[in-house]
Amino acid sequence: MTLLLSAWTIGLILSLLALGIYISYRVFKFADITADGSITFGAAVAAAMLTHGRHPLAASGAAFVAGALAGTCTGVLHTRFKINQLLSGILVMTALYSINLHVMGQSNLPLLSATTLATYAQDLGRWISGHDSATLMGWPVSARDLGSLLLAAAIVLVIAAILWLFFNTNLGSAMRASGDNEQMIRALGVSVGNMIVIGLAIANGLVAFAGALLAQYQGFADVQMGIGMIVWGLASVIIGRALIGSDSVGAALTGTILGSVLFRLIIALALRWGLNPNDLKLVTAIFVFAALVLPSAMQKVRRHAAAS
Amino acid sequence: MLQLRELQKTFFAGTPNEVRALRGVSLQIEEGSFVTVIGTNGSGKSTLLNAVAGSFFADGGAITIAGRDVTRWPEHRRAAMIGRVFQNPFSGTAPTMTVSENLALAARRGLARGLGSLLPVRLQNELRDRVATLNMQLETRMHNPIGTLSGGQRQALTLLMATWRRPELLLLDEHTAALDPKSADQIVRLTERIVSQHRLTTLMVTHSMQQAATLGDRIVMMNQGLILADYAGTLRRHIRAEDLVRRFDEIRRDEQLDASAAEMLRENYV
Repeated sequence: MTLLLSAWTIGLILSLLALGIYISYRVFKFADITADGSITFGAAVAAAMLTHGRHPLAASGAAFVAGALAGTCTGVLHTRFKINQLLSGILVMTALYSINLHVMGQSNLPLLSATTLATYAQDLGRWISGHDSATLMGWPVSARDLGSLLLAAAIVLVIAAILWLFFNTNLGSAMRASGDNEQMIRALGVSVGNMIVIGLAIANGLVAFAGALLAQYQGFADVQMGIGMIVWGLASVIIGRALIGSDSVGAALTGTILGSVLFRLIIALALRWGLNPNDLKLVTAIFVFAALVLPSAMQKVRRHAAAS
Repeated sequence: MLQLRELQKTFFAGTPNEVRALRGVSLQIEEGSFVTVIGTNGSGKSTLLNAVAGSFFADGGAITIAGRDVTRWPEHRRAAMIGRVFQNPFSGTAPTMTVSENLALAARRGLARGLGSLLPVRLQNELRDRVATLNMQLETRMHNPIGTLSGGQRQALTLLMATWRRPELLLLDEHTAALDPKSADQIVRLTERIVSQHRLTTLMVTHSMQQAATLGDRIVMMNQGLILADYAGTLRRHIRAEDLVRRFDEIRRDEQLDASAAEMLRENYV
């Protein structure tokens, strides 16, 4: 039960990463590898502030701003300096590695003694259950795990609602249109370059915010924690698309969150059944490859079958 | 309204594929006039339109719209003054967004886009009412993704979008060329209605002599990046499609004559 609970919680926390990837990859068709660096950036900034005794909300907010700056850099490299999308992301991601080391001062920063959002989550769990352990559907769980899950769910819900509202504003809709048909929105007076920069800022802000939450949940920030995170996000976005299968904003946001949780649950079960943790990234990469290739391959097979 | 001075554009300059698409085009269009531009493939007529819209910067010359020099303005900035319909009916609309959303985006052409709602109830009603005037039953499909509509329907909506806020200048780039004859006819009639209703200054590129002869009050004929003929006033009123076709045949013959004359001169004297 603890395993399931933590899979749900991490799934929800990483759904913020997935929502960021949804913005860059699905709204703008921009494969933004900055995410690998900005999730660590968020964790590093939050961890550094927390160990200096700053308030967890301030630390998490600062993480969002830090990520947004990273996204802005990638956007500016691509739109103003005409550097290829992927290369812009790689440059910023690489630069962030050094910056993260500077921010943390060491390659791994533990948060054991600091007051974090996890501390609040524990208080919340205690307040609900009355003592340190609770029962969930007949299973004993710790108040901290229960509180973390509830807090993560609440945060994700609020952020998803804000995003939904945002994508239905004039600015948010212009962003969606920029990804859908550049020529059209330019003819309607919108600078597509500016839209990409703002979009990547929001996307990486979310990714960094996810990093801050993850660091507080697991109790440390590590300079390596971002490796392969974009593929995680892509997997969630793709599963979400398959689950909901609609392009409307509400459906896509819901699907992405569900996709992230479901993907984390699958991974937790696979690990439980004996998948070597070292193979995790390999399996994820193969999964995303299959998800990208299978739909068109299936179509080809079907057309072949129909033709013969 | 629109003033072009010695406009020049060369594509792939300095390569064997060099194309001199505009070789110094000057044109002045009065407020409220409806000009059709005709020419053969490669005559530079679409390039002319794209240069005005700002799809690229001209190599030389100047463009003035409504008294403002826009020569170095990027496309999205010029869009505040220009409404545009493309040849490809899919170019003018965002396919995964709904009919309402597309129109609402166009309702803010050239205006700042902030955090206000895209589709307040009052605008939704206005959108539905104006779509109903198209008489295409599209008012019942306001919440469908616009990509599910036919080319003709999308082109009609694009025309409505381009003129939602009255543009200083309406640019139509062979906007019926990719449609079936029935839809094309429908769009031509819609164009006529909207342009006359709002008294729009319009520049329309077409490959159809018939369209050029029936629409608008002035015809500009282009060939090899230059304006060859300009029919306005009484001259324009007496022109028929056959006259335009004959003029084009003459041009073609002249060109062939030039080529064979040059060949003969070379053989005999070089």
